[in-house]
Amino acid sequence: MNKGTGAGTGPTAAAAAAAAQKQKTMMQRVETDIANIVDNFTQLVNVARVNDPPVRNSQESFMMEMRAARMVQAADSLLKLVSELKQTAIFSGFASLNDHVERRTTEFNQQAERTDQMLARIGEEAAASLKELESHYYSSAQRTPDTA
Amino acid sequence: MDGNLEISLDKLPIKRLESIEENGVERYPSDSSYDEKRVSLIRRIDFAWALEDDEERERKKRQKKSSKDASATWQWQSMVENLQLAHQELSVIIDLINTVDANDAVTVAGMTRPKPLPNEVLSDLAVSAATKLQCYRQLGKYFKQSAKALEEQIAREARFYGALIRLQQNWKVKRQRLAAAASSSEGFIIDLFDNSLYDSAAMCRPSSLSTIRVDHDSAGMLAINLPPNSCRSLHFGFLGVHSADIPKELGKIRTRGSVEQCTREREKESMSDDEYIKETHTLLREVHQSIFDDQVFEMLNREAFNQSIGVNVTGIRENYLQLSIGQGNTLFISLVPSGKGDDQDAANTQDSESAIVPLDSFDNVKLEGKHGTSKRKWGFPNRTSCEIYLQQIVHEHAFVKAKDKPNLSGTRVSGQSGKDGPGLLGHFCLSLAHRIFSNRVLVELENVVCRVPYLHLMTHPTWHSQTSSWTIFLKVPQSILHAESQSLKSDFQNMKDAVKSQFRTKVVVNDDRINVEGDGAPNVVSLFKRSSENISSVNKYECDLADLPVIILLQGDTVSLVAHVNPEDIKGGIAWWLVMEDGSPDDWKLQMDMYDGASEYRKFLGHLTLDVLYSTLMDLVSLCGGGRNH
Repeated sequence: MNKGTGAGTGPTAAAAAAAAQKQKTMMQRVETDIANIVDNFTQLVNVARVNDPPVRNSQESFMMEMRAARMVQAADSLLKLVSELKQTAIFSGFASLNDHVERRTTEFNQQAERTDQMLARIGEEAAASLKELESHYYSSAQRTPDTA
Repeated sequence: MDGNLEISLDKLPIKRLESIEENGVERYPSDSSYDEKRVSLIRRIDFAWALEDDEERERKKRQKKSSKDASATWQWQSMVENLQLAHQELSVIIDLINTVDANDAVTVAGMTRPKPLPNEVLSDLAVSAATKLQCYRQLGKYFKQSAKALEEQIAREARFYGALIRLQQNWKVKRQRLAAAASSSEGFIIDLFDNSLYDSAAMCRPSSLSTIRVDHDSAGMLAINLPPNSCRSLHFGFLGVHSADIPKELGKIRTRGSVEQCTREREKESMSDDEYIKETHTLLREVHQSIFDDQVFEMLNREAFNQSIGVNVTGIRENYLQLSIGQGNTLFISLVPSGKGDDQDAANTQDSESAIVPLDSFDNVKLEGKHGTSKRKWGFPNRTSCEIYLQQIVHEHAFVKAKDKPNLSGTRVSGQSGKDGPGLLGHFCLSLAHRIFSNRVLVELENVVCRVPYLHLMTHPTWHSQTSSWTIFLKVPQSILHAESQSLKSDFQNMKDAVKSQFRTKVVVNDDRINVEGDGAPNVVSLFKRSSENISSVNKYECDLADLPVIILLQGDTVSLVAHVNPEDIKGGIAWWLVMEDGSPDDWKLQMDMYDGASEYRKFLGHLTLDVLYSTLMDLVSLCGGGRNH
């Protein structure tokens, strides 16, 4: 993550510290969730042994359901974390965004200049064509209108 | 317990001698305690009937099996019978337990499970294993469902955030956390308000469209929902020429509005994400343009309230501004919703302009009736170009100036401040007024030039919105020059060099003022003038439109047909001369020179017949101003 490498070179120390703290929190959440999933899955596999008293089996079945639900919950929590990361990328990816904006600005400025030059050229060509056409038209014998 | 009732008889409760030993000691059975008595009584409960029933059942089953007939046995019959037997046994045991429970003297000493048979052990194990397996299978299904749901959620989010990131390349995406808490969506908005305007204090009121909420649609993709007819566009026209209704070409140019949101939903499945994002970009751009048009109109409204040069407001309504630009021309600027045109016509009909066919181009000659010829004569500029011009000058003044950009080329009109000169609106009105007036001047000049041979009209583009310039020049053919120079043989060479063959008159129109200046009279009279120093130069001369043809052609000279009566002439009594006078008070000079032969001020035409005389006179009249008799 960019924030990790840029912790020391952030705009302000407070913002850099906050970013580092946020990164640490997110890593902790990830680890917690992953550990949760692994742990619950291990327990699920461990309960696969069939016991003699059926009471224990039904007890274990309830436990299995509970652990499965916990696993799914942990996975959902991980997904939310990913969403948060995406949102953070949207709103904090200033470097790439600024680069892109500057690039686009340059492109548009160049396009504006080209358009201006093209318009000027069109104007000049139109003036030249007009001059030529006028001289041809007024030199021709067709221009005198019919007497009304 | 049907059938024969069996009765068991108990012995009398007297002590009976059990045994006698050899020494005569009598042994009696020991007294059983109360508990033992009860237990013995309980033990005497006879379960034989149950055993007999079992044996009977076995027999019957064997009989049924042996005598297999066509009647199909119900597959659950044995299970039902087993269950019934079990029920009976259980009821007996329950009775027993109740009896034991009711009798305080007897308590259950202990219960031992009967040793299970091997098949029972295995069947119990199998049942447990099957139960566990079933449990795991259910877990597996649950995991699969959850995985599928999570994958779908991932896909939806990927689409949404991918689209949002791509939109963010071009637009400002913000997040409202309070809104996120209130609604189910994440609270993203797109901010279209440009706060880098030149006069931010003047344009501090953001449009209601400035912030657009980003929603999720049914498929999880981002969707932008706009209220219908929220986008408005600038609409320009000349009163009496253009209709104030929304022209149909506007509907073609902006065919996409929020009205098409419902159709977009249906087409979304067939559209790829790229195309959808492009459409969203286009929609946002339309909204952006609509906001810009709102700002333009607001700026124009504000300027209209300030009295400035060139601005003459003749009507104001909501989203409608009417201005008079002089010479009977009026224009209107309005804001109209840029949705489909059919619903808007009824709402936006103006009082008198709705029936007039819109005139879009200067050369539109398709109008019928007298309006056609009059509109053609007084042609108005193209309304679309006027709209673009208006937007361009506002943009350059309000936006570009804020960013301190220099004018890139002379084609751009520099925005003027409202303090010392006309404001933007004034400048616009003056430019349009000039354009209309210069079109009329051009029509007049063309009329003049068309009727005179050897007369050329040249247009000089000034690239200035309030100045137009033309040059009328006459190029005398060499044949005529040679014809004149031959009459003076001694000075032939000099004359040829000194005769001027081109005469120019420059016509410059500034706003509505016409300036005419020239270096010679570009008319037939100039044929008399052979040396440049004798040519009278016309200085700068201001005139109005009505006198323009006269000024162009005559420029202070008068032409006369003079008849000289000579009774002694052989051919005829009357000889005709063409005489040019420059209006100078020394007319006596002409009279003195008349009998001296041809001079540069007069030309001998000879004896003319009546027909020739008439045609010459008519030619001169037609040269002198296109129908005007002077």
